[in-house]
Amino acid sequence: MFARDVMDTRYHTLHAEQNIAEAVAAFQKASKSEDKKIFGMMVTDHEDRLVGMLSMYDILNYVQPKHVAIFGEMEDLDPTQTYRDRLKTTRSILVGDLMTTDVVTVRPDTHVMVIAEIMIKKHIRRLPVVNGQTVVGIVYVSDVFHRLMTLFSAEND
Amino acid sequence: MPVVEIRSVLSGITVAEAMRRQVIALPTSADIGQGIRMMIRYKVNAVLLTEESIPSGVVSKTDLISAFYVELPAETPLGDVMGSQPIACFPDDPLEDVLEIMEAAGVHRLYVTGAHRQEVIGTVGYWDIVGLLYRFCRACERGTAKRDAKRTGERSTRFTVKEVMTSDVHACLQNDPVSAIIDTLSTCRVGAVLIQDESQSPVGVISKTDLIIAYRHGVSPQTAAREIMSTPVRSVSSGELLSTAIQQMLIGDIQRLFVRSDVPPEAITGVLALSDAARFRSGSCRACTAGRILIR
Repeated sequence: MFARDVMDTRYHTLHAEQNIAEAVAAFQKASKSEDKKIFGMMVTDHEDRLVGMLSMYDILNYVQPKHVAIFGEMEDLDPTQTYRDRLKTTRSILVGDLMTTDVVTVRPDTHVMVIAEIMIKKHIRRLPVVNGQTVVGIVYVSDVFHRLMTLFSAEND
Repeated sequence: MPVVEIRSVLSGITVAEAMRRQVIALPTSADIGQGIRMMIRYKVNAVLLTEESIPSGVVSKTDLISAFYVELPAETPLGDVMGSQPIACFPDDPLEDVLEIMEAAGVHRLYVTGAHRQEVIGTVGYWDIVGLLYRFCRACERGTAKRDAKRTGERSTRFTVKEVMTSDVHACLQNDPVSAIIDTLSTCRVGAVLIQDESQSPVGVISKTDLIIAYRHGVSPQTAAREIMSTPVRSVSSGELLSTAIQQMLIGDIQRLFVRSDVPPEAITGVLALSDAARFRSGSCRACTAGRILIR
């Protein structure tokens, strides 16, 4: 069983030139069309080559105030207003400014066992599948888990 | 003869209590574009540069703005523009000593090393110490705010923004080229410039962060300031409590607020930098002065 057997070929991508507001809108649209929460998206150039990954974590990390410990000690602070102010600062920030460029990828013929190993060791929930430099799919940890569990159940039947 | 030891709010507190364990580092061969991306992504003012994993220098926003000014390509290696050597301290060093080192060296960040001096395990920044001090002072039972509230149930006389602010406001026009903004920043040694329209009304702000973002996005130094300025102008009334202004800066991750007059017309009359505020400690009261800190 290989990456090509478990990968999802209906993936959504971002471009490095999009701003963060556009990226958030793309996350929401992708979640709606897939009917599941999308937490990370691949960033490709205009020739569909992978240039990075952007996760919700990257955006949250940017929006989060550095001195967040102060929040817990102050009852008079309005976190909603603070977040609104922080979100305004993302207007000039592009996907390319926040994305991870050091992306771990697998090939279509990478075995699922190797994929599971990478995901466990590196705490990765999604792995782009690339053929040469072109993206052909994405493997989610949930798909790997369910495929392995299906095999496990079949063995016990 | 007895020795009198003067203790400040920070006495007895070590670097370990204020340090961040995340070290933002790149090899000297990484390019300027990568350096800027790290500064934006992790909201830091400087990146540690390494040579075969050994610390070899520091590149700051100021260094990158100089590169922007002379139009160095964003592919230039960071090693070619790095400005200073990293200054190190240990996790068990007293914070008071760290502040003295920062003041003597004119830096706002020290790198924390373990037993092995080449191994950097964290950073301690001036702003982190200001945040820590603010929290301590806010919780202090001897503070005039709490004392007076207990006695009379009313708010005490506390420092206001106008007592601490700097009246020198450095401004440029929205049609000025970005290179003129860089000139003003470096000549006046400030972190941000107020941008005005032709009628002298404030329309935005350009900080060092705005400049490095513009550099990464391929903006030319000849571009008009209005194209890269941040809006709106984050300001505070001159009559506002200093502690409220500090809170606004710490929570909003900003290092300065422009000060507007508290009587109409509400013109910009000054600047309040977090470092100015730190001279007056947390700004919460006048109970003690021992912990006032300033890095020039």
